[in-house]
Amino acid sequence: MIDTLMLVDDEDLFHLVFEDACSLLDISLSLKSLNSSDEAAKLFQKWLQGDFSDRPECVFVDLNIIGSSFDGIELIRKINFEYGNNVVIGIISSSNEPEEQAKAVQAGAQFWIIKSDDIEPRLEEFKKDYEGYKTRTAPFKVYR
Amino acid sequence: MKLNKETKEELINLLEKKNIGLEGNILKIIDTSDDSDFAKYVENCKEKDKETRKKRLEITKQVQEKNKELLEVNAENQRIMSELQLTFKEVEDAKITFEVQNRELIAWKQDNERISLELQQEMAKSELARIGAEEAKTMAINDLDVLQKKTQTELIGNIVKIALGVIISIGVITTFMYILALVINKDTQMIGSTWSNMLGILLTNAFSIIGTIMGVKYSGKDKEG
Repeated sequence: MIDTLMLVDDEDLFHLVFEDACSLLDISLSLKSLNSSDEAAKLFQKWLQGDFSDRPECVFVDLNIIGSSFDGIELIRKINFEYGNNVVIGIISSSNEPEEQAKAVQAGAQFWIIKSDDIEPRLEEFKKDYEGYKTRTAPFKVYR
Repeated sequence: MKLNKETKEELINLLEKKNIGLEGNILKIIDTSDDSDFAKYVENCKEKDKETRKKRLEITKQVQEKNKELLEVNAENQRIMSELQLTFKEVEDAKITFEVQNRELIAWKQDNERISLELQQEMAKSELARIGAEEAKTMAINDLDVLQKKTQTELIGNIVKIALGVIISIGVITTFMYILALVINKDTQMIGSTWSNMLGILLTNAFSIIGTIMGVKYSGKDKEG
């Protein structure tokens, strides 16, 4: 089970859905939900300075985060290449654009979960693959 | 995470008496390996928590779905609103165009009315000029007629004068020759008869000429009348 999970998504209702789904599937013990990529970037900057106490193990980022300075792919790029946190990170979005997915791979995303009404089966599948992402042995995967 | 015996008993009692139990992810980290009753309690709480979360998840999904529909309806409303605004703007533009065209038509109508009035005035002037010309023509014809008649009268007068002159001259000459023949005692038989014949013929012709002239003159007056 993942100890701490972070979700960056502008949709508050999805925070609730995601939290309940993760709890029911025993995916994580605690969830930190944020509404903007700027907020997430600030936290990662803080963790970069050495305070890792509440750092998440895995981050789910929405592709288009309304009200943020930059989108999910840019946040992933920043986390991977600027803040240097070795977290499992990927996109959770209703979009299924191959071009965007290619960009996400370049930014260092490890997975792409397509958001829909029935999110649980995808999360369950993700849970099975999680160890591979943690050890950086699993390839990029799109959960349709 | 391990709990002491008293706490465990309190938690079990709380659940039994007041139906209040632990919930959430804390249940996943409590160690129940050494207490079967408490393990049963945690399992019971986990089941309850699962049920609650399932219900909440379903409700949240429904709310999310409704929210999505509302957003779509809102987007559709905004689209219709912008179309309406666009249509309204087009109508306003058309109205302005119509007003401009109307103003142009009114101006054109006023021009037409002015031109029509001017035309009527010109026609009236033209009619007056025509009437004037007609009157001038009539006057000219009358003047010409008068002139012709005057000329005619003068001609007749001249003819009468010449004719009378000729008649009187012939009469005087014949008379002189007859008197001379009487004075110098010459034979007057021939000249006398000739004189009387000549005088008769001349008088006859003179009266014939005068009669003819008078006839022509009165005939012209009748035609005029």
